[in-house]
Amino acid sequence: MLNFLMRASGAAAATVLLFILFSIVWPGPALSMDQHTWSEQEKAVLRSLSIEALGSLPVDPSNRYSDNPQAAAFGKKLFFEDLFSGNMKVSCATCHRVDYSFTDNLPLSHGMDTTPRRSMPLIGVAYNSWFFWDGRSDSLWSQALGPIENKLEHGISRTMSAYIISKYYRKDYEELFGPLPDFMEETFPQNARPALDDPDALKAWVLMTPEQREVVNRIYVNMGKSIAAFVRTILPQPSPFDRYVEQIHAGETIPSRMVLTNEEVAGLRLFIGKAKCTNCHNGPLFTNSDFHNIGLPQKENVAPDKGRAAAITQVLSNEFNCLGQYSDAHPNDCPELRFIDTSNKKYAGAFKTPTLRNVAERPPYMHAGQFATLREVLEFYRSQAQNPELSHGNLTDKELDQLEAFLHALSSPIASFQAEVQ
Amino acid sequence: MKRGLFVIVILFLLLAGCAAKDEQTSGAMEEMTESHGHGDVKITKHFDESLTMLTDKNLFSLEMVIPAKQLSMGVNTVEIIVHHASGGDVPQAELTVTPWMPSMGHGVMQKPVVTERGGGLYSVDNVVLSMTGHWQLQVKVAKDDKEDTAVFNFPEVKAMGHEHAMMHAPPPKDLDYATMKMTANNAYNVMYKSIGGQIRINRIHSWELTINDAAGQPVNDAMVTVVGDMPEHGHGLPTQPEITKVGAGGLYRVDGMKFTMPGWWVVTVSIMVDGLHDSVSFNLNIL
Repeated sequence: MLNFLMRASGAAAATVLLFILFSIVWPGPALSMDQHTWSEQEKAVLRSLSIEALGSLPVDPSNRYSDNPQAAAFGKKLFFEDLFSGNMKVSCATCHRVDYSFTDNLPLSHGMDTTPRRSMPLIGVAYNSWFFWDGRSDSLWSQALGPIENKLEHGISRTMSAYIISKYYRKDYEELFGPLPDFMEETFPQNARPALDDPDALKAWVLMTPEQREVVNRIYVNMGKSIAAFVRTILPQPSPFDRYVEQIHAGETIPSRMVLTNEEVAGLRLFIGKAKCTNCHNGPLFTNSDFHNIGLPQKENVAPDKGRAAAITQVLSNEFNCLGQYSDAHPNDCPELRFIDTSNKKYAGAFKTPTLRNVAERPPYMHAGQFATLREVLEFYRSQAQNPELSHGNLTDKELDQLEAFLHALSSPIASFQAEVQ
Repeated sequence: MKRGLFVIVILFLLLAGCAAKDEQTSGAMEEMTESHGHGDVKITKHFDESLTMLTDKNLFSLEMVIPAKQLSMGVNTVEIIVHHASGGDVPQAELTVTPWMPSMGHGVMQKPVVTERGGGLYSVDNVVLSMTGHWQLQVKVAKDDKEDTAVFNFPEVKAMGHEHAMMHAPPPKDLDYATMKMTANNAYNVMYKSIGGQIRINRIHSWELTINDAAGQPVNDAMVTVVGDMPEHGHGLPTQPEITKVGAGGLYRVDGMKFTMPGWWVVTVSIMVDGLHDSVSFNLNIL
């Protein structure tokens, strides 16, 4: 009797063991059968996220040179030119590195000095409505002009920029924009700009005649428009995720043929479902281009960054905005500026949702590089479950793994206007 | 309506009692000091939640109570208690209240109606605010040969119905997604249409509203505001839409609509004609 019992329990234990082994090795019929089955609504969401939905580059009515290949070629030279800086070592490419998805690997970018924020990725940037983390520019060309006169970035003035153009890029410039005036040091000060952080430069700017200021502004603006013509060609190419969406819409279901792994697909399902990432990371660039305060930890001993709230007045009063005299747009073609939400309260500490294309290729993360890894970002969002804006469901560790795996599937080579030629 | 009347009656009783004895210090009374350029003057507040203001020449101090807690777009009522700068109540003064929109440089056609309730209390009805935004109420007080003015500021007057949507709620089942509805008090019939077809996320686009009155006649001269909210998130549109009267067929064009999140949105259209205010909320599911 005892013997029988022992044998029976031995058999039961063996069965249990077998079952456990089996369930570890075999993922189960439900998983493999349903893994690649999506409802019609889910398919529509997948399509909306796919690179196919990106469409052709949006026209920038404020920049009549935006699709001019000659301007893009000129802009590309300017993008990589170190001369446009106080120490002749900083170019746009210093913080927007070609080998790093057009951003850099620092928590806070460093030009002439350390800036208060991280460099923004430029991939697909032309599809944005607002530029910089806080959207203080409303066009790519006016954005490109900001860092040049920022003491912490390029640290030179618009008059100096005009000098450099006239001295080193006269031919390129004149072919596009017509004759340049002669720049004589007696007539144009080298360091003049309408800046409140540099009284000497401001005084020099004010003492110039309106006609001189107009000449310099025009050259400076044309520089920005050329740089923008180049930067707008920096675009994502199809990622594994995009190829997967193509497969799904082509009716492919054979698991071994699918582009994404089971873990990546599980992450995708979370991304558009339970974790609600598409609340803000929607559309083919995985961003709504809007501004949100997600309650990031504040740095100690540093005044809080007001983000979008401080940028609203800046963009409205920017001489280089869509409604300004240097814009090529008809006022009716400036809807974002015209209908701008001016609520400072709503946008206190809010920053732009960044694109997630190539996100795995360019740590660290957030507007001030608060997190070193994607995992830290996901852990942060999980910790914000109480915030209705950010409730991502009660995600398990395994689900964070899956989301992280999916984010890696958004990487692709970057296309740009002759980017390989430097 | 009944409840509003009740509040006014209670207010009146409280204030009349209070005002009768100037020196009385009750729980609801509080002394505060306000600096107004001409040195410190004491204002005796009768209510915790009232707004106080000294007139420009320091002749009077004014206390304003808003029974509805805050001013909204539409028709409002406020209560004003007038004191002498020295502290005593001011009966039988002539009060003129003017709503003014400083950024737009305009007021409204409708004149507020001031009724003296006694003991320094005046109720002001028909305070019409025709749109959302920054409003001022300019209050002119004339008593005997003395005249002085104070300006109360209301930086963020919102449309009625706006607050109701801010509740972080998941969408109720069987939401009504109709694009044509009657307003809450059945004053108007409103229909919206997205110009250019299906609404797409993250795109600035325009709407066309058609507004008819209850009898089916087009309403061509209404003050209209449009507010968008995401009840699940407690925030609204990333834009400030503009409304243009077409002037015929009850048509209005709404420019600057933009939805930046998928899911349940509530768009509230507020309509006011000749002081008659009503509003309607449309549910939208943005994909």
